[in-house]
Amino acid sequence: MSRSPVRPYVITGGRSRTGRNVLEFESLVRTVPGVRVDPLVVNREQLTILELCRELLSIAEVAAHLGLPISVLKVLVGDLWELGAVQVLPPVRPAERAPLALIEEVLVGLRQLR
Amino acid sequence: MASVSSAEPEYLPSSVQGAVKILVTGPFGVGKTTLVGALSEIAPLRTEETMTAVGEGVDDLTGRPHKSTTTVALDFGRITLSTRLALYLFGTPGQQRFWPLWEDLSRGALGAIALVDSRRLEESFDVLGLLEEQRIPFAVAVNRFPDTPAYPEEELRAALDLLPGVPVLTCDVRDEDAAHRLLIDFVDHLRAGALELS
Repeated sequence: MSRSPVRPYVITGGRSRTGRNVLEFESLVRTVPGVRVDPLVVNREQLTILELCRELLSIAEVAAHLGLPISVLKVLVGDLWELGAVQVLPPVRPAERAPLALIEEVLVGLRQLR
Repeated sequence: MASVSSAEPEYLPSSVQGAVKILVTGPFGVGKTTLVGALSEIAPLRTEETMTAVGEGVDDLTGRPHKSTTTVALDFGRITLSTRLALYLFGTPGQQRFWPLWEDLSRGALGAIALVDSRRLEESFDVLGLLEEQRIPFAVAVNRFPDTPAYPEEELRAALDLLPGVPVLTCDVRDEDAAHRLLIDFVDHLRAGALELS
């Protein structure tokens, strides 16, 4: 059966945005080791996320591996974050950190690759 | 080029503390996916995002703008820069109808590489306008296709109406080493911009 276009929003309970937590495409997610969640408060997709994120992955990577839109992933992971089931590492922003130092760190990293 | 797949996840080292991102943008078929693939350490991934877009130039009789849902494919890749920092590269379509997605994608980006096909420059006007308007630091990179005529830089600059501070780079994006040099040159340009501000 082909996937219906409304299905992702059924998964998120009809919400397109989660609460206070802000997630970006490049936010990194990791399941809190040994965490136990009540299967009644999470859905199947969220259990899959917890299993997939046993080590660090970005929101975008999780979305690609699960075949879900990033907007949907943000809601599902946002819930898991509020439950304390995942750890989230926010993006490193040039606006929040000295842009020059951050850009130089990127440059040094790129030059070391070859 | 590695195929887009739902292969086993390739995890980041556990020491990584956060990520930065750079956008690779340009018109359809310009080589965004190829460039992201040439640079990425992981098999490039694709995710699809649905977006409600205001129809272009279509008005119904009630005078309300026509709305439609578009699916946008985003190709992306990753480079682990150090034990603590990762870089994500997002291939971002540049056509005007995808602009609603830009707000999310460009937030916090270090900058954008605007890939240009010199045989069809006019297709890049939209995205260059958007980058200027949103004040995203960017460089133009001319993808060297086998039959790309070698236009002098000044001619390209004039045709694209580029501001003096925007570098024009050239690259065959299929070549991994050339793609890597392009990325370094671009970040070096960002560094020069940040130096000026500091």
